[in-house]
Amino acid sequence: MKKNLVVIGNGMVTGRFLDELSKFPGHNYQITVISAESSGTYNRIMLSSVLAGDAQFPEIIQKSPEWFTENQVTLRQGEAVVHVNRASKEVVTSKGNHFSYDHLVFATGSRAATIPAANQDLNNIYPFRSVGDTQKILDHADSCASAIVVGGGFLGLEAAWGLAQRGIKVTVIHRSEYILNRQLDKTASQLLQKKLELAGLHFALGTEVEAFQGDNIVQSVKLNNGSQLNCDIAIIATGITHNAELGWQIGLGGTRAIQVDPLMQTCDPNISAIGECAEIDGQTFGLVEPLWQHAKILANKLCAPDIREVNGFLDKPIATKLKISGVQLFSVGKVNANDPSNEITLLDEKAGIYRKLIIEDQKIVGAVLYGDVRSGNWYVDLMCSKTELSNANTMLLFGQEYLAA
Amino acid sequence: MNLIPVVENQEIFTTDTTCPYCGVGCGVTVSQSDTHVKVSGDQEHPANAGRLCVKGSALHETIDLEGRLLQPIVDGKSSTWNSALSKVADHFRKTIEQHGPDSVAFYLSGQLLTEDYYIANKLMKGFIGSANIDTNSRLCMASAVVAHKRAFGADAVPGCYEDLEMADVLFFVGSNAAYAHPIVFQRIAKAKKQRDIKIVVLDPRRTATCDIADLHLPLKAGTDAFFYNGLLVYLADNNKLDGKFLQDHCDGFDEALKVAREQTPTVGVAASLCDVSEMDLLAAYSYFAENDRVVSVFSQGINQSSSGVDKGNALINCHLATGKIGREGATPFSITGQPNAMGGREVGGLANQLAAHMSFEPEDIEVVQSFWNATRMATKEGLKAVDLFDAVLEGKVKAIWIMGTNPVVSMPNANKIKAALEACDMVAVSDCMADTDTTRLADVVFPATTWGEKEGTVTNSERTISLQKSFAKSPGEAKHDWQIIADFAKKLGFVEEFDYQDGSQIFAEHAALSGFKSEYSHKRAFNISQYANINKSDYQRLKPTQWPITTSKNKGTKRLFEDGKFYTENGRAKFIPITARLPKVLPHPNQFVMNTGRIRDQWHTMTRTGKASRLLSHTSEPYVQIHPDDADRLGIQELDLVECTNQDNRYLGKAKISSDQRLGELFIPMHWNSVFASNSRAGALVYDVVDPLCGQPEFKHSPVNISKYISQEQGLLLTTQALEKLPTDYWSKITLDLGNAYYFSDKESQVGWSEWATDTFSEIDDWVVLNGGDGGFRTLGFVENKLRVALLVGKPQQEIAQHHWLASQLGKHIDLEQRFTLLAGAPGDSSKDPGAIVCSCFQIGVNQIKEEINNGVSTVDALGEKLKCGTNCGSCIPELSDLLVNSQ
Ligand SMILES: Cc1cc2nc3c(=O)[nH]c(=O)nc-3n(C[C@H](O)[C@H](O)[C@H](O)COP(=O)(O)OP(=O)(O)OC[C@H]3O[C@@H](n4cnc5c(N)ncnc54)[C@H](O)[C@@H]3O)c2cc1C
Ligand code: SF4
Repeated sequence: MKKNLVVIGNGMVTGRFLDELSKFPGHNYQITVISAESSGTYNRIMLSSVLAGDAQFPEIIQKSPEWFTENQVTLRQGEAVVHVNRASKEVVTSKGNHFSYDHLVFATGSRAATIPAANQDLNNIYPFRSVGDTQKILDHADSCASAIVVGGGFLGLEAAWGLAQRGIKVTVIHRSEYILNRQLDKTASQLLQKKLELAGLHFALGTEVEAFQGDNIVQSVKLNNGSQLNCDIAIIATGITHNAELGWQIGLGGTRAIQVDPLMQTCDPNISAIGECAEIDGQTFGLVEPLWQHAKILANKLCAPDIREVNGFLDKPIATKLKISGVQLFSVGKVNANDPSNEITLLDEKAGIYRKLIIEDQKIVGAVLYGDVRSGNWYVDLMCSKTELSNANTMLLFGQEYLAA
Repeated sequence: MNLIPVVENQEIFTTDTTCPYCGVGCGVTVSQSDTHVKVSGDQEHPANAGRLCVKGSALHETIDLEGRLLQPIVDGKSSTWNSALSKVADHFRKTIEQHGPDSVAFYLSGQLLTEDYYIANKLMKGFIGSANIDTNSRLCMASAVVAHKRAFGADAVPGCYEDLEMADVLFFVGSNAAYAHPIVFQRIAKAKKQRDIKIVVLDPRRTATCDIADLHLPLKAGTDAFFYNGLLVYLADNNKLDGKFLQDHCDGFDEALKVAREQTPTVGVAASLCDVSEMDLLAAYSYFAENDRVVSVFSQGINQSSSGVDKGNALINCHLATGKIGREGATPFSITGQPNAMGGREVGGLANQLAAHMSFEPEDIEVVQSFWNATRMATKEGLKAVDLFDAVLEGKVKAIWIMGTNPVVSMPNANKIKAALEACDMVAVSDCMADTDTTRLADVVFPATTWGEKEGTVTNSERTISLQKSFAKSPGEAKHDWQIIADFAKKLGFVEEFDYQDGSQIFAEHAALSGFKSEYSHKRAFNISQYANINKSDYQRLKPTQWPITTSKNKGTKRLFEDGKFYTENGRAKFIPITARLPKVLPHPNQFVMNTGRIRDQWHTMTRTGKASRLLSHTSEPYVQIHPDDADRLGIQELDLVECTNQDNRYLGKAKISSDQRLGELFIPMHWNSVFASNSRAGALVYDVVDPLCGQPEFKHSPVNISKYISQEQGLLLTTQALEKLPTDYWSKITLDLGNAYYFSDKESQVGWSEWATDTFSEIDDWVVLNGGDGGFRTLGFVENKLRVALLVGKPQQEIAQHHWLASQLGKHIDLEQRFTLLAGAPGDSSKDPGAIVCSCFQIGVNQIKEEINNGVSTVDALGEKLKCGTNCGSCIPELSDLLVNSQ
């Protein structure tokens, strides 16, 4: 008799989790995936490319419903889990279906955060998270002349870029003085801003949306600096809220997401959580790279308990990139050193190249690369391995090709 | 290359001329077309028979017009010949009127041609009425001149180059011929391959000349005369004297031996005075004693000394004692540094000579006066170089004209020379280059022609007179030195006496003077009266010939004294009793003895050789050579910057650690100057003590302190421009094929390099800037994407790249995307260049992907397996598919 393995959510981590499980062909699980969305498993990251017209929806589907049939995985789409009964080990869906589990996996991800602005329920104000959101934005885009994107982080910029590619005049509203302030320092940020401005984007920085205005449909936003901007459409991309409420309801711990141990197990040994809905040691996730570890650790643990990932989840520095064509950007670790003498910077304004390394105690602790991202991963490796550097630090900046000799 | 205009417009035009550098005086054949000038050794010339050394063969690289002075300059501004000459002439005239003829002076150069020298000498000694005319030959040859005169009665080199090849034993005494006289050295090296010639080098330093030596005696600096006194005693005690020769042709042997014996009674005493092993000394002595054919080549190592004349005579004494003179392969041989030091001596261009080997004796004065029709004849010796500049400093000499030399660099106590010229009311300078340490201090600068443009005779070390021919027109308003002086003489009112149409007339007059009334005295060795009536076309076809050249010896004279007759009153050679003396200023316990000299590829103060990048590739920065144990003790490592000081003067250079150097002694090259380095003029550390007999300074022995230079900052600047200086304590300039490289260091890091660069190169607004946080700073400046400036500054422990690769990028168009990598200072390992990044998660570049596709990978998944590309976020998968499709 096979054991029932039930997975809530069919996002990116689930896709990878299924791949990892399939590496154990003889495993003893009957798998059921319950998904609130209805598009199969798709590459959420690529929604930016879809918005920009660089990719089409079908191209980003990673696992279609047919895949599930072929691989004998039960897929319930368009059906959200609304309740879990730990005692009877079963879940209840929005359609009233019950599924019992031997092991339950939360992979509910996150959703776009809301902002403290008035009238967010007006029409034509969208988050940018799912195929559904993207479809709606695209449906309206044709009839729009101007757009507002709230949030000057990665997601906001990619959304703004995508809309601008469709000939819409886009203004990005960002709370900080400069865009991508978590990933870039001011110099890199300004180079990026200049480049995006040349491509037609507009920016309102150091300000926040106080209220959306319009009857029924959004027509303008009012900013806390007193100015007002007209728009036909608005996208909110200020951050994410982890989908942890369902877990919390049944007593799984956690402060921002569902708390798990390094082997992805919640306080209930029959329940695990992976992906953006999980929280390890107080840390939550917003990029895919660490999620691949989650998927692998849990699959190994369930199918081959003896060859568990050594020590479970390992926190590693992750580099971030921006998926805007023509923009090369790479950022990892610290963005600014406490002591400027720990920074090595290189600026070529005309070529639009900026590279910075932060070196503390003879070790790389951060890198910001703009315009030329060579050797970015090498820096990450040096950072992860905490390699002690010699005195030729300056040479590091030119990349790996320049250090061998 | 910026070519000087050619004389005639033929397809290929060849000219036989001579090399303007060292005293070997090689013949050079120049062939030129409209666009190219090539040089090669003159096959016919007796000095070199077709060969040229590296300096000679780079001659065509130094004749472009870069840095040339093309117009007269008065008070820093361009002027005309008329007003520049009038200004100097008025000043000279007034000064002479008010303060007498000895209040003015000329300071000349062994680089001038005989004709230039002759005119200057005639004007000063015959018409201005002073003998205040001296020359930089004072710095190299004066000791040998007096030694020759004392022993032979005339300043005459007895032998010829052929003797060097015919000898069985060759002594090099204070001569690094390998660097200073390369072609002579090569001739000897070649002869040694054919025949077992024994070579002995006497030099405190192991030099490149020792490479072919059988014995190197690293004798203590300044002890050469002890060596020769010891040798004289050894010869006497071992029955090695030539009794007949002594009897028939020499005077004063007994006294000389007696005095020598007092100092060096035994070989053991001589060895300990010279601080060499007794065995080695004995070996050297027996080489000299046991062989008939012995040549002693001597040069600056003994000349540049406070007892240089005595050293020369101590050496000559030994040749006389054994009759090793005036015969094939047997002679003392003084080898000159400069191409025409000999010519200068012949016309009398020295303060203690009159003309044509005549001195200030009443008879001689009368001969010359009547020959010249001189209106105001000098009647006594003038001031020799060191005293001359002292007199300038003291205000006794109020107007000075410096021709073709750079005394601010080359004189001893060179900072004093600088102060003297700064204080002088009228400093006129003739030079072919616009910017030298000396032109920087001039009130009036006259543009002179240089090698290739001027024409006239030179005399090399073996008395060969050759014609240095012109093959190019004078650029700009430049004039020949003799023309400038003649025009000046006319301004002073001597119109007829200085009315020459060309050099041949001057040469003929000089030749005539050499034979004029020569019958009255034996003393005049120099006689070329055969040429007294030479016409222009014969002059232009002058074949290299050794003087004396008279009707009886119209093919010239290979060897002197073959008949045992000398130029003394009684025709007999004179032994000079020598009490050897140590150098005047001796080092304190912690001081070192600084020795100075040439390096292989530079000439003098680099005004010409400094222009050829390949001549700076052998040795590119000023340096200090030091013994390993001394370096160790002082914590000095190879290429550390070190500072040498004495008397408030300093010299900075890179340490070169070598056991070629004696303990406690240093070697410093003489060439660097303020145009090429901030504080690297060896002359500044040389004490201005001179030989009392000849006035030659003691360049080879200056006590100095040395310490490691503790720098806070160091760096490299490359620029297509030439800068006058850098804002750092130490810098040195290296000429590149395009532009210049500067290495620099400072004790403090006080320069704001970023502002300095933008201020200095204000026309550049496209900069790439690297800030290392901890003081490291690098920047590149571009104009229209061509690299114009590269500046790399770092802490001393940070390595600054060698300049060669980066220098090769100057002036080149550089790809916008790649240009920041130039700041690395060296090319990257291109095999590791991944190309434009396609997969940004794993930073997989297009080069890597294409390589895999070429290796047969055909699907996106397979690429992912190989390279991981596309396996993280997957956003690059469309691009990967495109690459696969496009390359199939
Ligand atoms: C436009 C965009 C671009 C991005 N670009 C990048 C990038 O370049 N690099 C990067 O590393 N990351 C990027 N991200 C973030 C990345 O997509 C997320 O980190 C990743 O999708 C998280 O995966 P997940 O499986 O944990 O959650 P999700 O992918 O959010 O999947 C969770 C799924 O669970 C469903 N769900 C939630 N609750 C329930 C329930 N109760 N019952 C059933 N189903 C439920 C949700 O509807 C959703 O389908 C991007 C995100 C977006 C939106
Ligand atoms: S040896 Fe002297 S003269 Fe001959 S080429 Fe070299 S520098 Fe010129």
